[in-house]
Amino acid sequence: MNARRLIATTGIAALGIAALAGCGPAEQESDGVLTLWHYEGENSAMGIAWNRAIEIFEEETGATVAFEERSFEQIRQTASQVLNSDEAPDLLEYNKGNATAGLLASQGLLAPLDDAVAEYGWDETLASSLQTTARYDEDGVMGSGSWYGVPTYGEYVQFYYNAEMFDEYGVEVPTTLDELEDAMQAFVDEGITPLAEAAAEYPLGQLWYQLALTQADRQWVDDYQVYDNPVDFAGTEVTYATDTVADWVESGYISSDATGLAAEDAGTGFINGTYPMFFSGSWWYGRFLDEAQHDWSTFLFPETEMSPGSSGNLWVIPTTSGDPELAQEFIDITLRPEIQAIMGDNGGVPVAASPDDLTNDSSVELIENFNTLLDQDGLAFYPDWPTPTFYDELNAGLQGLLNGSLSPQQMNEQIGSDYEAGLPASAGSSTP
Amino acid sequence: MTLIESRADATRPAVAPPTGRRRGRGDSLVPFLSGRSYWWYLLPGFALLTLIILVPLVWNIYLSFTDYRGIIAPQWSGLDNWVTLFHDERFWLSFRNSVAMILAMVIAPTVIGLLVAAALFDVIGRKFGAKLAAFLRATYYLPQILPSVIAAIVIGWILRPENGALNTILQAVGLGQFASNWLGAPDTALVSLMVVLVWIQVGYPVVIFMAALERVDPELYEAAEIDGAGWLRRFAAITMPMIRPEMFVVALTCTIAALKVFGPVYALTGGGPNFATIVPSYYSYSQFFQNQQVGYGATIATALTVVIMLVSIVFVWAQNRAERKERER
Repeated sequence: MNARRLIATTGIAALGIAALAGCGPAEQESDGVLTLWHYEGENSAMGIAWNRAIEIFEEETGATVAFEERSFEQIRQTASQVLNSDEAPDLLEYNKGNATAGLLASQGLLAPLDDAVAEYGWDETLASSLQTTARYDEDGVMGSGSWYGVPTYGEYVQFYYNAEMFDEYGVEVPTTLDELEDAMQAFVDEGITPLAEAAAEYPLGQLWYQLALTQADRQWVDDYQVYDNPVDFAGTEVTYATDTVADWVESGYISSDATGLAAEDAGTGFINGTYPMFFSGSWWYGRFLDEAQHDWSTFLFPETEMSPGSSGNLWVIPTTSGDPELAQEFIDITLRPEIQAIMGDNGGVPVAASPDDLTNDSSVELIENFNTLLDQDGLAFYPDWPTPTFYDELNAGLQGLLNGSLSPQQMNEQIGSDYEAGLPASAGSSTP
Repeated sequence: MTLIESRADATRPAVAPPTGRRRGRGDSLVPFLSGRSYWWYLLPGFALLTLIILVPLVWNIYLSFTDYRGIIAPQWSGLDNWVTLFHDERFWLSFRNSVAMILAMVIAPTVIGLLVAAALFDVIGRKFGAKLAAFLRATYYLPQILPSVIAAIVIGWILRPENGALNTILQAVGLGQFASNWLGAPDTALVSLMVVLVWIQVGYPVVIFMAALERVDPELYEAAEIDGAGWLRRFAAITMPMIRPEMFVVALTCTIAALKVFGPVYALTGGGPNFATIVPSYYSYSQFFQNQQVGYGATIATALTVVIMLVSIVFVWAQNRAERKERER
């Protein structure tokens, strides 16, 4: 081979790689093996329940399951590339929401599940507010359109409180917003910062959203999440939330140091008894059961019927799956009451469990709170869902608010313009 | 090729000079390859360069003109991303922060490294022996060996606002009023990050400059000493001019490193608080992988590449100019 030919070959190879990068994947052939990915820990409620589901699946179908454990971040950051290749699994757990499952669905990487839903009756099994995150329209916006995922567990945000510290300082569990502020003030008077918070990650954003929900109705949530109408970032809901966070920082209920703290810092701060209260998700419940050395309990945010929360993450079937029927059978097994009860008994939030099947009393309260929210149509999703970039942007705005570089009004303007810039073209615009 | 051949023929004399080298059977038709067989040895490297650098670069530039989200085939969107980029305050903020990174990763380490290297070589080495100087040099270089993300995570623990080692020590010695939310407050986050980067970076120039000082003729120093020149005078008149080529290398490589710094920012601040420490590579990463705005992430990466290339060209040009002047003297 002479030099010219070698150079030409190199060039052609380079162009070939570039061309291949634009090619799509081919549908795989059925091999009778269900390739399954999820990112729940082996000892987590979901991991334990789904391991049992794998056993039942293999007994009943005679097929085998090839399970590969992945991390949440692995799947979050690489799923689009993997599902767009020939290496996609037959079934995987994937994050719900417009920017995640919605995006993949709109780009044709997830198989629509409408026929399976009709066949297995999953729409009867799952409460309607849980179905919102399962359905996506052609733009990837949740709430309508075809089914692209199936949730098998739920999650929501609530207050965790250190019962021993409440007793020690004579603080009652609050049932109104005023009582909540009184309780926090009682701890401040004792030199204790009452709320474990983190603004480097999600906890403070969820508190901010919860405060907005105290002033909001379901229509506002729909406007914010699925773009029914423009959202007014100078309106009552947002200004109340931002002003209240600023007030609570000023009053010492939230430490301004939270700008440098992550969710793990706040959670461990509650576990080790530094803070008497922590407002965060049900995903902490099992860990607190294991690790907290003090008595603790939970309550829903007072004086509101809505709370951040949704279905858990979804089972999704890639378009390229070679065994979609097996995948559907497995999904159906994970929704059976016996599997759901295992989840509930291990600190998870089942979506189709019969309370009579539960044997662990400490999980009952968790599930009761969830059912309360479901009954009052109270799952309001999460603040960062509307745009792919809003998680970072809301955290940034709250960091600015906490450290004083942004006034409440400036923060509302900043996050309002961030929100608007990130909306899909079909969504119209907000009024920041 | 026909064109090249005909041009080559056109430039060939009609009658070969008597002493001229005649074109042999094995000579290439490509002029620059004629008789230079070492080009063959460069071809594997060139092929790898093409596959690993050039193709991704061209692909990245192409993506910057698309609305690619990392999934289905990219759609051409013209200059949309570039227009957005030029109006994106966060992008410009990230480049302003790059200036701070240059201060922390180039200017401060080069100055400190120069002084430390000269002191180790000229004072410690002479008075206490070369072994101690070598030990201290290794000590300064240690942060360079540590993976930057791991170093940053450990430093993140030290700088934690609550129960971090630094604040705890400050409180223990009665300086509690200086305890701060080092990485969480806008007025200290960037400065804290810069201090960490200086610590990571300073060993590199120390090692390079000490190696450079090895090749300086000791007689120069001795002659200067006999003439009564003090340390500072010897440093300015001998050390600085003699290691100027190494200073160019350090400045260039550190500037490139500063412009594309990522690991410490990712691990220490995540670009916060409120984007106070965001840098172009982190911004590009977040657009690529967190927000799946791959086309826009590629635009930021392309802009960063252009800036790095321009800086490199300016550096190399300045170095050549300085060397030319030196030779003309």
